[in-house]
Amino acid sequence: MTTQIQPDTATRTADPDAPLLTIENLEVTFRTRDALVHAVRGVDLTVHAGQTLAVIGESGSGKTVTSRAVMGLLPRTATVRGSIRLGERQMVGLGEKELRRCLGREVGMIFQDPARSLNPTMRIGNQLTEAIRVHLPMSRRQARERAVELLAMVRLPAPARRFHEYPHQLSGGMRQRVMIAIALACQPGLLIADEATTALDVTTQAQIMDLLLDLQQRFAMGLVLISHDMGLAASYADQVAVMYAGRVVERAPTRRMIAHVRMPYTRALLDATPRLERPPHAPLPVISGRPPDLRVLDPGCAFAPRCSRSQDRCQHERPELTEREPRHEWACFFPCADDSLPGEDER
Amino acid sequence: MSDTLTRSPGRPPRSQSRPNRLAGLLDRPARLLGRSPAVRVAITRVLQAVPVVWGATFITFCLMNLLPGNAAVALLGDDATPEQVAALSARLNLDEPFLIRYLQWLGNALTGDLGNSLQNNEPVTAILGRALPVSLELVVLAFALALLVAVPTAVVAAKRPGGFADRIGMQVSMFGLSVPNFVFALVLVLIFAVGLRVLPAVGYVPIAQGIGPNLRAMVLPATAIAFALFCEYTRVLRADIVDQMLREDYITTARAKGVGSWQVLIRHALRNSVFSLLTIVGLQFGALIGSTVIIEQMFGLPGMGQGLLQAINSRDIPVVQAYVVVMACFVVGANLVTDLLYAVLDPRIRHGRPAA
Amino acid sequence: MAVQPPDLATARGADPAADPLDATATGPARASRRRGTGKGLWIPGTILGLIVLACFAWPLVYRDLPSPTAGSLLAANLPPFSPGHLLGTDPLGNDIVSRLLHGGRVSLEVGLTSNAIGLLLGGSLGMFAAFRGGWLETVTMRLLDMLIAFPSLVLVLVVSTYLTPSKLNVIWAISFFSIPTFARLARAATLRLREQVYVVAARLAGQRDGAILLRHIAPNVLPQLLTYSLLWVAAAIAIEASLSFLGFGVPASEPSWGMMISRGQAYISSNPELVLIPSACLFLTIVCLNTLGDALRARTGAP
Repeated sequence: MTTQIQPDTATRTADPDAPLLTIENLEVTFRTRDALVHAVRGVDLTVHAGQTLAVIGESGSGKTVTSRAVMGLLPRTATVRGSIRLGERQMVGLGEKELRRCLGREVGMIFQDPARSLNPTMRIGNQLTEAIRVHLPMSRRQARERAVELLAMVRLPAPARRFHEYPHQLSGGMRQRVMIAIALACQPGLLIADEATTALDVTTQAQIMDLLLDLQQRFAMGLVLISHDMGLAASYADQVAVMYAGRVVERAPTRRMIAHVRMPYTRALLDATPRLERPPHAPLPVISGRPPDLRVLDPGCAFAPRCSRSQDRCQHERPELTEREPRHEWACFFPCADDSLPGEDER
Repeated sequence: MSDTLTRSPGRPPRSQSRPNRLAGLLDRPARLLGRSPAVRVAITRVLQAVPVVWGATFITFCLMNLLPGNAAVALLGDDATPEQVAALSARLNLDEPFLIRYLQWLGNALTGDLGNSLQNNEPVTAILGRALPVSLELVVLAFALALLVAVPTAVVAAKRPGGFADRIGMQVSMFGLSVPNFVFALVLVLIFAVGLRVLPAVGYVPIAQGIGPNLRAMVLPATAIAFALFCEYTRVLRADIVDQMLREDYITTARAKGVGSWQVLIRHALRNSVFSLLTIVGLQFGALIGSTVIIEQMFGLPGMGQGLLQAINSRDIPVVQAYVVVMACFVVGANLVTDLLYAVLDPRIRHGRPAA
Repeated sequence: MAVQPPDLATARGADPAADPLDATATGPARASRRRGTGKGLWIPGTILGLIVLACFAWPLVYRDLPSPTAGSLLAANLPPFSPGHLLGTDPLGNDIVSRLLHGGRVSLEVGLTSNAIGLLLGGSLGMFAAFRGGWLETVTMRLLDMLIAFPSLVLVLVVSTYLTPSKLNVIWAISFFSIPTFARLARAATLRLREQVYVVAARLAGQRDGAILLRHIAPNVLPQLLTYSLLWVAAAIAIEASLSFLGFGVPASEPSWGMMISRGQAYISSNPELVLIPSACLFLTIVCLNTLGDALRARTGAP
């Protein structure tokens, strides 16, 4: 399917090697009534144009907070420190007006539950044209034509008719397509997909992911996939960053990561992924212990209490994320060896 | 006032109708009549309202007729002779069994005959016809005034929860809900009629004598009623908007599009809060009628409330009965209208999915 | 407990943002509300306690309190701080303080009693209907819907007049119309409880319905009803005052706040305090009940 929309290359940086998104030493804390929650504790990430980065982690690992920090969508109780650069622009401390100009035009976002992320009482078309007209000086009519083009671009069947429908008249996959159309309405250079396929069934998941990758290639976008699903990352991402307790604990190109897992937490995540090769009815290995308490800042490694390889040193000293093998960074004193087969540590 | 009566506890539920058999039963004829879900919902609701209206008349009739004490005695006073009582009882059909009297009354009422006043034999319908427009004007004015002020107040308060505007707004509405409206009306009179002498304290000017003078006479009573409504609407709207801003993903979507914060508030949150507002408007209508009774009496407006009080004072049973039934019908009607508005406004009902 | 692999067990509903974002999003609102509830509980609670104490205990301690109705015209319209009359007297020579205390007693008696009756009847009706379910529930709730749709003030007015105005009849009339509200509340709470594991377990264990209602459901429904009933006491007091104001409430031999306001209306330009003092008492009582009720609801999370 062809569309007339051309990528808006003017907003891209001239240097193709310059990263699109650079996050440096990002810290996010939330004030609650009786404690500070350290949700993100010094995260560094970069995304280049045309690249797909998967950020993987369990609930409370800080992956969603990181993405919301990029969008400036955190509640007022949050304090953000560090640096988030989108192209040349520093996003931390950006005024509301400039931020608004940036959102939708330079960075777009898709959320987990398409049933909830569209306004139930507004027509699809209005929600889409709103996204267009906020940024582009278009007449109602032009915006409408553009909206129908966008709906066609995300391969929504009968786009002209869907334009007039309400979210509840669409299936989950169709709604997520609409969300993608909204996020891409102004051709942002960066797209953040926050668990974008979690709420969908498996076949729809694959369709949506294919669509996302396809559009990413076509517009040379940077794509950030936020997910808890290691399998998803393995199939679609160029690079994987694993987060635990507000920090990146391992980062590598996808193939390398899968083949040479170093961080015991990543290992456990991989083992916990259901696989076809696994004998039927074999119990899934689970990660024992509780997720970390984000209110306390321990001197040691946050994963140590749940880690099968932890030793005394892990309790007192925190391993830094360092590039210990070419293009492969991890934060662990006692990494897994290459030959450890899936699940071997636990059994 | 009795506005606190039906105060909905916190946020009204979005979808409150539990499927019940009655609705299912009524849905079937509705299905035959209309294809569009909205029409179907509308027909179902209208059919559901019929037994409620009927029940309202029955309860009223029961209350008026089964209460201890003979109505004729009550009417004539304790020193009436037995002959007088007997004569009046015959005139009121008090000798007939209760159910017969009710059915007679119902039959007449269906043909538009609500009986005659015991005071001057005037048809009750004529009395109602005179009082109704006055009360309607009062209610509509109060409504409009309350909404006009409540919507912007709620939006501004919800912009920064816990902020200055929010705290002031919430304090005012908490106090407002605690002032019985006759007290508030007296304070208004004290300030504007006694102190400043800018508005009349009492009296009614028909619209026929000019809209200006008419409105001048209506300002204080309408404000007195509107204040409590305003407080309730502001609280409900504000709570609903704040709730959406914190919880709903489509708000985040709108922000992520780069839509300005006021726009998000108005175009996205307020739009959906209309449903909460509708619910509360429907729930409050009974209390609203209750407050018109007091306010009309205080300000000397010849509406239904004042008429009712006079009829009660003079023990004019047919008139009292008619007033109560009409008021009850108004409440049922108001609830019906809000239900129908739901069906019209909510696309989830209008298209496809009828109310679950 | 063993934690499942991240999100895999709950791949669908789990919201990864849930903990940090949500928990803290409500942070300041919750914090301030909580701070508010501290104040919101103690201040109105204390004031209410003082009002109750004054109305019921003062006349017992201070026996020389002038009669609220047997004033002499010789002592009419005394200004406040006159000897023997702290707030002065009304145009009939009645002592205002003693009328206020008496009126407060009437308000509180009517409010509390009618509320207790409504809570008991409505609460058990709602619990029973919800627990039994089926046509019984449908019919009961439909009937109550009809009742709730009524302009209740109008009906209380009619009923209490026809029963001949007296304190007892006002109480009956008001409590009758509080039944539907309590029944609805109790029903909603019971419906939630009915599916709880321990209730189902009790059922399966063969306990009788009455026993389950009394032992498992009522103790859980009652706190909610009680919290809500504070708001209802406020409403009942307002209704009583309205009735008295209209002259349809308790008879003239028992002065009440509404009646004092109504009587004072005639002198509003010359002696506004005749209206303002009882109005202030009425307002203070209701506002305290309302804030207390709201604060309790916020604290217990009751609907």
